[in-house]
Amino acid sequence: MYEYIVEMKNITKRFPGIVANDDITIQIKKGEIYAILGENGAGKSTLMSILFGMYEPDEGEIWIRGEKVKIQSPNHAAKLNIGMVHQHFKLVHNYTVAENIILGIEPIKKLAGFIPYVDIKGANKNIADLSKKYGLQVDPSQKIEDMNVSLQQRVEILKMLYREAEILIFDEPTALLTPQEIDYLLNIIQELRKAGKTIILITHKLEEIKRVADRCAILRKGQLIDVLDVKETSTKTMANLMVGREVSLEIEKKPPKFRDLVLEVDNLTVKNQDNFDVVKNVSFKIHGGEVFAIAGVSGNGQVEIADAIAGLTEISNGSIKLNGVDISNFSIRERTIEGISYIPEDRQAYGLILDFSLAENLALKDYYKDPFCEKGFLNKDVIDEYGNKLIEKYDIRSSLGIHTQVRQMSGGNQQKAIVAREIELDSPLMIFVQPTRGLDIGAIENIQKMIIEERDKGKAILLVSLELDEVMSVADTIGIIYNGEIQKIAPADTLTTKEVGEYMMGVTA
Amino acid sequence: MSKNKDEKRKNNIFTRIIMKLLGNEKWQHLTIPIFLIFLSFVAASIIIIALGKNPLGAFYNLLQGAGILPKPSYAGYKSMLTDFLSLLNFMTPMIFASLAVAIALKGGLFNIGVSGQMLLAGFLATITIGYSGLNWILAKPLVLIIGLIAGGLLGGIIGLLKYKFNINEVVSSIMFNYIIQYVLSFFIHSYYIDPVSRQSKYINDAARLTLVNVELIGLKMDISIGFVIAIILAILLKVFLDKSRLGFEIKAVGANPKGAKYAGINVGKTMILTMVLSGVFAGLAGVTYFLGYFASIQPKVLPSVGFDGIAVALLGNTNPYGIIGASFIISIIDRGSTYMSSIAGVRKEIASVITGMILLFSACSAYIQHKIRANKDRLGYMAGKEAEE
Repeated sequence: MYEYIVEMKNITKRFPGIVANDDITIQIKKGEIYAILGENGAGKSTLMSILFGMYEPDEGEIWIRGEKVKIQSPNHAAKLNIGMVHQHFKLVHNYTVAENIILGIEPIKKLAGFIPYVDIKGANKNIADLSKKYGLQVDPSQKIEDMNVSLQQRVEILKMLYREAEILIFDEPTALLTPQEIDYLLNIIQELRKAGKTIILITHKLEEIKRVADRCAILRKGQLIDVLDVKETSTKTMANLMVGREVSLEIEKKPPKFRDLVLEVDNLTVKNQDNFDVVKNVSFKIHGGEVFAIAGVSGNGQVEIADAIAGLTEISNGSIKLNGVDISNFSIRERTIEGISYIPEDRQAYGLILDFSLAENLALKDYYKDPFCEKGFLNKDVIDEYGNKLIEKYDIRSSLGIHTQVRQMSGGNQQKAIVAREIELDSPLMIFVQPTRGLDIGAIENIQKMIIEERDKGKAILLVSLELDEVMSVADTIGIIYNGEIQKIAPADTLTTKEVGEYMMGVTA
Repeated sequence: MSKNKDEKRKNNIFTRIIMKLLGNEKWQHLTIPIFLIFLSFVAASIIIIALGKNPLGAFYNLLQGAGILPKPSYAGYKSMLTDFLSLLNFMTPMIFASLAVAIALKGGLFNIGVSGQMLLAGFLATITIGYSGLNWILAKPLVLIIGLIAGGLLGGIIGLLKYKFNINEVVSSIMFNYIIQYVLSFFIHSYYIDPVSRQSKYINDAARLTLVNVELIGLKMDISIGFVIAIILAILLKVFLDKSRLGFEIKAVGANPKGAKYAGINVGKTMILTMVLSGVFAGLAGVTYFLGYFASIQPKVLPSVGFDGIAVALLGNTNPYGIIGASFIISIIDRGSTYMSSIAGVRKEIASVITGMILLFSACSAYIQHKIRANKDRLGYMAGKEAEE
């Protein structure tokens, strides 16, 4: 018998310029939920990629079930009953659930005894049984493209289970989920443990670890800092160990001083591509010096409101006034000039041009203006100088400074670049949509601080966030949206988390 | 075990040379294409050897035929210089066509209709100026202007269709290719046909963009005016794309249309502008082809150079300077092939095989770059490290 189901001993992995994993040893018992905690770039994903056979370690050994192994490929890992749910799912979108799950290990039957064909009926049935067994409700014949993120994740989990994985690796599984979906997932993870599976959970969200994990390894800058018993450790200790300094989970905030009205949205209605009202008669006002947060479950129209104000989506009814000027018919650039900064939800699809350099991206909203552009030609020196200034001021880290291709930068630094650019526009209205999504604690703290600073400078701030904690701690006024309609608008200090949660679910008191 | 393998690979002389030659990332945009062209000639050599001929001799003849190296003997009024000038004359429409493709690619669009735009521009310039009998001072500039306007308008229409009705530019430009090909062939057959050559009647020399049979230093040369214009415009285009505001916007829309829209760029307008510019260059390709390299139009045929331009643009990495170089190489192979086949006895089609190889190999350049980077990481071929060992 073996004591540990997974042992990674003295693992070292170097990439050019950095040591991603520096002499890391972890030992995981069968049937436990083992969390790996660390900031972005701490080496969590590299370590798990090694276990899953995507990288070979430079030094160190891997023991599975008491036997020394050399995992050379994900296929090999699958043979050792290791499964992984990646942060970005690996599914074929126009295939059905069942087709995705059996892909690569298709059950073959023979028609008339010799013509082989894929037994999709049998697969459907097996998968339906499997999903019932673990409480993972899916329709095996549904296509992936018709499913939301949470359902797609269930398919990924089923894919592992179908391959009889015993050791399940979850890479940041909650990054894209709503609070309810997170609840559901954490329950599933506990169910899986009860069924005898060993679970490795990569995350930087402390509450989740606290809720489900038994033990927790903390990585920082490629090194193993500590392995802790979760029950006996406070979230605060974990956060401090992870970041390497004291972090405040609560942000300090002076009472708000409201100034003049900046944004007035009146009876706003927005239709989606299918001509369906996704935002219905929404009205609200934001003053200078006020953080107005729209809370709600993902997909209830909050992003469309932000897009409509910034001009990315057409409005079908209502009006938007900025400092008393009706901007409903302005172009995107006219609105930017009139005074809107916008940090979009999808930073890679909208916020940046990934193939452009950092300097070009930092000047993306100014490049056409004097002195960035003179007589139709861009002034590279001015753009570079401006880039350097912002890199310093906002501590944007990259390998080649202003010349770095933004695609090569980490998610956290990409977000910093967008925030830097938008704040530097110095607009009276700033729209932040999910500004801290996918970031680690240190970066979250920074960005939330910046939001408060801008508020104190007298800016009007519209915050759209799915993190209820963020809404509660940053906002002065909360508007709760459900199904495209604002359910309630009230000062933040008059609402409890529970109340906001209820409005988010459409339970009107 | 894998350590040993790596060690072996590291000491492998072949790996060493390749890493030395191609390892420097600063020069990779030049070294990799040259390496790939070299590889394609190696591959072509194998085929020529298989045919029982001498590949080096064949390549030598290729260069002789194109006017890069001297032939042993020349006909009257001919020399290496005349061969070289006709190479440039042949190359001119190819540069324009490839630039047209490259601009569109920069803006995220695929202009497969360069041939159609060329034909339209060439036809309109032929019937308005080519047959007019205008003085050359007026005729030559007017040919260029009509060419670029016709091409630009057609390109603009394709862009507009995409912007207004979301019609994919590939589909609409292929449709335009057919429409132009057959409609113009009707007009040529009905009004402008030369009954002997079965082509449109020859244009007046005054309107032609290539000065033919110019007698100078005892030689009769074909001097392409368009070539000079092509080089100047390629340089201007490079500056435009790198430095100008509009160039920045075109590249932004090409790299990420959503991001460009978010940044406040008018994506639709930029797309139309990109296609107009692409069409302008296609139009110039058309007039330098039909009123330069040739002086008449063959009905019902689309100029193949419009399609070759796609490959040349890719071989040149959509960089205007790269395109000049790529056009030069492809033109040499094309122009030298006749001489090669008559002297070395290697069939003329082998030239197309070589061209095909180059394009095939150049499609692998991203792979090579990736491979070299992986090797570098793996074997520790960093500049400093190697010196230490």
